[in-house]
Amino acid sequence: MKELVEYMAKAVVNDPDSVIVREIEGSSSTIYELSVTPDDMGRIIGKQGRVANAMRTLLRVAAVKEGKRVTLEIV
Amino acid sequence: MYEPKESLNVTAKTVEDAIEQGLAQLGLSRQQVDIEVIKEGRRGVFGILAENAQVRLIPRKITPPPPVEVVKPLAEVVKPVVVPIETPTEADLMDTFDVPRLAVASTDAKFTQEQITDFSVKYLDGLLKQMGIKATVIAHIDKDLAEEGENPPLVLDITGNDLGILIGRRNETLRSLQYIVRLAVNKYTNSWHPILVDVESYRVRRRRSLQQLAKQMAERAIASRRRIVLEAMPPYERRIIHVVLKDNPHVTTKSIGSNDNRKVTIIPK
Repeated sequence: MKELVEYMAKAVVNDPDSVIVREIEGSSSTIYELSVTPDDMGRIIGKQGRVANAMRTLLRVAAVKEGKRVTLEIV
Repeated sequence: MYEPKESLNVTAKTVEDAIEQGLAQLGLSRQQVDIEVIKEGRRGVFGILAENAQVRLIPRKITPPPPVEVVKPLAEVVKPVVVPIETPTEADLMDTFDVPRLAVASTDAKFTQEQITDFSVKYLDGLLKQMGIKATVIAHIDKDLAEEGENPPLVLDITGNDLGILIGRRNETLRSLQYIVRLAVNKYTNSWHPILVDVESYRVRRRRSLQQLAKQMAERAIASRRRIVLEAMPPYERRIIHVVLKDNPHVTTKSIGSNDNRKVTIIPK
């Protein structure tokens, strides 16, 4: 699922090489921390968080398939 | 195994009743048939002049839905691209990583429809793989869905088993898929292209039923001389209603309410 976050993020930003995703496994859920260059922050979040929310929705679908709980944070 | 049955004509007091009776006879759900309204029916005055409604229910074959139609946009011919998606292997996952990397396009690069189609299908394909979903993407240009003054959209139809998960509540997942794919394509080509992501032709069918609903409700509004308020719908669905009734000289349409609760109102003139 880390790859899924990268796959989506890299297609949206101007600088795909700076996309970094950290996977933090918790006891009840997994957190994905996504970071991009400051210039790409707006692109990854989108107007009213549209891009971030779309990524969350798709990530959730993948998580449901695997029976996991996930959150996506943009740092 | 599902066996396609013959189409069925049903007559009843109202269109709704006819559809329900027909579905009961066929033992199918509304999603499994195409509905054609033959006669709208009329309530009449005190039962005089009343006319029954008649509909035809055409069972649809479930899998695989045929690519609707491949239309030639001007000079180019777009072939339907069919990419079967297997269970992702490690190698596949690495492989799909190259796709977003193509996203460094120069500003003045020109893309043929074929390149755009190819990229879109590959990207969506990779996205579904990453999501752990087995499905097939079929692309076609759909002339019927063209907005006024715009190129006909590239429709990416996802087909497979058990894809309800891809539509989501209030269409949310499908919209998210479409949004991400559009962004990826915009990034890749540096320009905007009309792209619709669909699951099992859900959008196409939904559009068709909304258009039908709009016409029926307009007639009812005209006949009863009362405004009719439809249920709350997302913006693009309201838009379908507005567009259908735009040229109807007897009604005007207006959206009322706010945010998620906006409803189209059909007002007789």
